[in-house]
Amino acid sequence: MVDSKTVVTIIQCNYIPIRGNLAAKTVNSHSFQFPTLYQKHYSIMSLSLIQKILPLAKSSTPALQSVRFKGKINIQRPKEPHYERARVVAVTQPKYPEPPKAKSCFKTRAERTQQQIENPYNEIIAREVRNWLDHSRLVAVFHLNSITSDEIFRVRVQLHKQNLHLKSYGRKIISQAVAATRYEAILPLFHSNHCIVFSPDQQTIGSLLRITRKVPQMVLLGGVVEDTLLSRNELMAYAQLPGLQAVQAQLVQTLNQAAGHLVQQMQAHQQSFVQVLDVHAKGEVKETTPELTEEPK
Amino acid sequence: MSVPFSGALRRSGGIVSAIGKQLKSVNLKGVKRITVQFDPFAENVKSTREFLFLLSTPKVALTNPKCVIKSEIVCDRQSASIKFALIDSAQEQAKVKEIRFNSDNINTLELLQLCNRHVSSLAPPEEITNKVLTKAEKQKLGGGAGGGKKATKKK
Repeated sequence: MVDSKTVVTIIQCNYIPIRGNLAAKTVNSHSFQFPTLYQKHYSIMSLSLIQKILPLAKSSTPALQSVRFKGKINIQRPKEPHYERARVVAVTQPKYPEPPKAKSCFKTRAERTQQQIENPYNEIIAREVRNWLDHSRLVAVFHLNSITSDEIFRVRVQLHKQNLHLKSYGRKIISQAVAATRYEAILPLFHSNHCIVFSPDQQTIGSLLRITRKVPQMVLLGGVVEDTLLSRNELMAYAQLPGLQAVQAQLVQTLNQAAGHLVQQMQAHQQSFVQVLDVHAKGEVKETTPELTEEPK
Repeated sequence: MSVPFSGALRRSGGIVSAIGKQLKSVNLKGVKRITVQFDPFAENVKSTREFLFLLSTPKVALTNPKCVIKSEIVCDRQSASIKFALIDSAQEQAKVKEIRFNSDNINTLELLQLCNRHVSSLAPPEEITNKVLTKAEKQKLGGGAGGGKKATKKK
């Protein structure tokens, strides 16, 4: 009788070397001595073989018996096996080859910790940082105090409208990006909470300062302008400069001033004489005009 | 035979939790202005910058909303310093106008510890302005006077 709850097999197949004979599959019938409440199922293997190999397995086995019909099975308090069964079980326990001792087991802590494999993604980010550094004409580094992400997002948007890109990377990655290059000097700025602003355009320092002045949490530390490292004061001074053309004009003026000064000195006496004459002439004109006006009166 | 127990039952949480613990007891009520001055390209400014960051956190800032934190960046390799300008009552208590830390060679944790020792202790004690009386307390206060009145009335 097969119920829905019954389970079909409890065949324990073991390979037993029996007195040097070839291994044979056997059915161990000792596990099937359940109380009469439960029904048992067997599948028929060669009963004669069983009886040959295990002479004690002489119990009369019906054709099919269900093993379980209740939901609960007892696995927590198994019955102590019969001596013969126990003997077989003991002999047939698997022997696995000894696992190799962990290679780090005998190493010191220093050796163990030094073997941290570096994530190759860091290399990619470092390359991106170097790319930004190479292609931006203005790089400004800020110290970042405690700020909400809402506020920093607003700042980021305002900066983006001026084509200024706010970014932040870890010190390890920046040192990897910058260590052997000419930008090495900016490394000390990244010891604490920071952010970087890149600008591929020229002449955006004014708008950058204007926007970040409104943000008290961002403290300008320094920057790189056209491959020149500038400190904070120098950056502010650079922002005050009028513009390239104006500055070039100023330079031209300064250069011309040397020659112009000499010319001025040469002409000084003549010019002062001409000025005095001018004043004198004007004075005469003024004297005559009041006389003319008086007359019609 | 056995040695009596010595040591700690609990493992310490490390420097981060020590900093957190110090940060909880920072009180800036006695300060009206904090000026943090450092040269960003110098070495040893990490602790100053970290301290500046920690002072700017909302929890610490909330202990005294009137206190202004100003950061000055210098370019002449000066040593880093942190100045606390005290309020009047704190000045009387400490007999100095401002407290200055030279933070070149001090750790962040040590900075916080010093701050707690010298600055947080100068915070004026809180005054209880509005104490809400519970019904029982009100009865107790008024019952003494009202009970006498009632008694006379009954009579």
